[in-house]
Amino acid sequence: MREWLARLRDWFRREQLDRELREELEFHRTRLERDAGDNAGAERGYAARRRLGNLTRIREEARERWSWPWLDTLQQDVRYALRGLRRSPGFTATVVLTLGLGIGANAAMFGVLDRLMLRPFPYLLDAARVHRVFLRYRDRDRDRLESAMEYTRYLDFQRWAAGFDRWAGFSQGTTAVGTGAAARERQVGRVSGTFFGFFDARPALGRFFGPAEDVPPVGAPVVVLSYAFWQSEYGGRDVVGQPLQVGSISTTIIGVAPRGFIGLGDPVPPDVYLPITTYAGHEGGPDDRKTYYTQYHWGWMGILARRNPGTSIAAANAGLSAAYRKSWESERAQDPEITPAELARPAAVVGSVKSAAGPEASLEAKTLRWVMGVAVIVLLIACANVANLMLARVLRRRRETAVRLALGVSRGRLLRQAVTESLLLGLLGCGAGLLIAELGGGTLRRVFVDEAATIPVLTDWRTLGVAIGFALLAGLFTGLGSVLFVASEDLAGSLKSGAREGTYHRSRARSGLLVIQGALSVVLLVGAGLFVRSLNHVRRLRLGYEAEPVLLVMQSMRGTQLSDTQRVALGRRLLETGRALPGVEHASLVSSIPFWSTSGTDLYVAGIDSVRRLGRFTYQTATTDYFATIGTRILRGRGFSEADRAGAPRVAVISEAMGTVLWPGRDPLGQCMRVGSDTVPCTTVVGIAENAAQRSLVETQPFRYYLPLEQFRPTRGWALLLRLRADPAGQAEPVRRSLQREMPGQSYVTAIPLDDVLAQQRRSWQAGATMFVAFGALALVVAAVGLYGVIGYNVAQRTHELGVRIALGAQARDVVRLVVGQGIRFATAGVGLGLLLALVAAKWIQPLLFQQPARDPLTYGVVAGVLVAVALAASALPARRATRADPNAALRSD
Amino acid sequence: MSPSPKRDLLPGTLDMLILKALSAQAMHGYGIAQHLQRLSQEVIRVEEGSLYPALQRMRQKGWIKAEWRQSPNNQRARYYTLTPQGRKHLGQEESGFAELVAAIARIMKPA
Repeated sequence: MREWLARLRDWFRREQLDRELREELEFHRTRLERDAGDNAGAERGYAARRRLGNLTRIREEARERWSWPWLDTLQQDVRYALRGLRRSPGFTATVVLTLGLGIGANAAMFGVLDRLMLRPFPYLLDAARVHRVFLRYRDRDRDRLESAMEYTRYLDFQRWAAGFDRWAGFSQGTTAVGTGAAARERQVGRVSGTFFGFFDARPALGRFFGPAEDVPPVGAPVVVLSYAFWQSEYGGRDVVGQPLQVGSISTTIIGVAPRGFIGLGDPVPPDVYLPITTYAGHEGGPDDRKTYYTQYHWGWMGILARRNPGTSIAAANAGLSAAYRKSWESERAQDPEITPAELARPAAVVGSVKSAAGPEASLEAKTLRWVMGVAVIVLLIACANVANLMLARVLRRRRETAVRLALGVSRGRLLRQAVTESLLLGLLGCGAGLLIAELGGGTLRRVFVDEAATIPVLTDWRTLGVAIGFALLAGLFTGLGSVLFVASEDLAGSLKSGAREGTYHRSRARSGLLVIQGALSVVLLVGAGLFVRSLNHVRRLRLGYEAEPVLLVMQSMRGTQLSDTQRVALGRRLLETGRALPGVEHASLVSSIPFWSTSGTDLYVAGIDSVRRLGRFTYQTATTDYFATIGTRILRGRGFSEADRAGAPRVAVISEAMGTVLWPGRDPLGQCMRVGSDTVPCTTVVGIAENAAQRSLVETQPFRYYLPLEQFRPTRGWALLLRLRADPAGQAEPVRRSLQREMPGQSYVTAIPLDDVLAQQRRSWQAGATMFVAFGALALVVAAVGLYGVIGYNVAQRTHELGVRIALGAQARDVVRLVVGQGIRFATAGVGLGLLLALVAAKWIQPLLFQQPARDPLTYGVVAGVLVAVALAASALPARRATRADPNAALRSD
Repeated sequence: MSPSPKRDLLPGTLDMLILKALSAQAMHGYGIAQHLQRLSQEVIRVEEGSLYPALQRMRQKGWIKAEWRQSPNNQRARYYTLTPQGRKHLGQEESGFAELVAAIARIMKPA
């Protein structure tokens, strides 16, 4: 190895070595001659001179030690290629940019895909045997898949499931960390004491917490910092033993995780780690924090399990499912209303720890896979384009090649040069692509993963490797055409007849590439069109409220203890202050936020055995102005009024769907329902509101009722909705500052536009639309450039023929028709093939679309039109040039 | 032509002889050739054709270092010196060679 390195080093300074050897031998010769002369023996003098004759051979043999013939050739080839590329900067720039866009798109997409699905977690031991536990069951005729579980369930699995040797519980969320001005919302990993045992990681400082510090009802108040947090907040100094406020918990720092340790927090790593029971015992809801380890009310955590080395996945699943059935029964023993196991058929399975790769993969993750496919198609189009350009170049250089062949350059050498050139272009494109990926990475991150995630491109070996792999493949693929050409063409012929013949040859390969490019662009554009329309449907969907003008303000108490009276008074104060702020039209205090939280309680209605069997009913408690604030329409009856206060007759507004299911065929207005228990007084239905989406954009069971906050659990009004006249995003900060003044102690408020919450829900459609449009546009541009290049080249080839035509009386119009007609023919073929492909692909893309048929005639038609228009534009310029073909020059040149 | 018949070297011994020569002092190529010839009393004559390639090979293996110095009669010459690695290698070669010679001697003089 060392020797080879030395040889390589010598190769780089071979000229110096040659010089030195020459001098050394020269010295040897003079000494030899002198010594021979001194001894004056004629024979020996002759012998010395005879040996001098061998000097050249000696030099050659010594030189072998540092000459690498193939490296020499390679260097020559690279130089030759670089010279060639420098001579045609336009071609080089086009190719590098085209490949760069293709490779960049792929590198960036791979970076995201790798993070979400492929890359194993750092330090994780036996990753192949470590799984996340997923639950399946049937609920009201629908199959459900769940990964969020109760702590009690976690205990059940540990006790009853066979086939596993390690268990851990984990969850992650944002909590305010630090005190005073240093307090920030941070990612907090809540993990069991067994969690760190899954990793082969030693603390950078101090120690991790273990099972002894993680015991219900409340674990020890200790915290482990992430390496990055330790560096940024403490500058890496010794922090063990220092206090750190995490939410409402006063913890002590006991250690720092090693560099690069992220637990299971990919793409957003935790800043600090807290024992899971410490979190649950302090920060759980008022009831939950006492019952979380005995009851099944709070499903909030994930379970990590490691299979025994000898246990197959099927056996592990069987063990898990048996435990889950037992656990189901134990839950039913607490709550007989739970569906019996025979109907619910509970089963548990192991799945990937990466949620995007697991059975619960989000729509985003599925869309991501598609977009990765799209990126590959963009690269294919780019390659086709480059191959086309290179083929054109080879054709143009036919004469040069023929001359070189005639001069004795071997075909093998020519081939090697062609390959070198295309690989070089591929690598240059790779460089450009990585830059593009690094710059464009931020957009991808916003579209697919959390803002807080970092996805580097230039410093990530996996991404770099993939990019270089793509570049080499692209280089080989694009060089293939030229290689085949050199290998097959009868070049001597072209030398004889000259580069310009009377007619032009249509290259079938080039036409084929062009049609494929067009077809692939069509497919992408159809995808883009479908996703855009789908996103429009999502945007226009009537959710049952208007999120755009609404600002959401949330309180965080951070351990500031308030009595119920103080709590209610604080809510009142926030409401009054908020309503009085400039620009605020309406304000309402509420207990739940769409898509974040829902509340449910038992409902009793005369004539119905079990309301729960009919579906999931959720409630929202709110102050008077709720419906005006959020824009939910009251269809019949009335909303809340100032009269609906504590002590007044209880009233409720219910959703239209709820009325239909509870009182089919009757008027729900004036009906009585009892909320929470069947002994409390009647709550009278006074209004019917339109259905509102609460848990997903397409709610199948929008059964929802609204209660005046003053009449039902008045302390739960923790969030404030403000309807603004304009620009809620811009108002968020001033509003937050004004309201913060009302907050006692360590508590604080945050303000975000309600639309941001919805944006999360629209993310997958947004992602699909953004990426398909971006890539579709890219593909279109690349294809247009390709078409322009080919037509332009053809026109150049036909200058003579066109000149003759003009000389024979052809009008400009005829010439234009000739050239443009060719472009249109390419486009039509591409469109036809592309639409066919799109039709075939439609059935796979359908699930990703929102109320949008994947075989949409309008989209298809528009795309076809666009492509033909672009083809027209791309061939118009060469056509104009064609009309200027000089008949004089054409006729005189022969 | 030469006063005594020229003997071929045993294969592989040239490296060892060069290393041995250099273990005493730094020498240039011509010096090495002369040194070996003199010590062997003209029995061993190192061909330049094998000497210089061997020196390059040993330099690349890291056994010897080359540097330009002034020779005693003020000519610029390329001097070779032994590296610690080369010294180690020489030790191994020497002991191996001694064993081989002893074995051959036992066979050739059975009495």
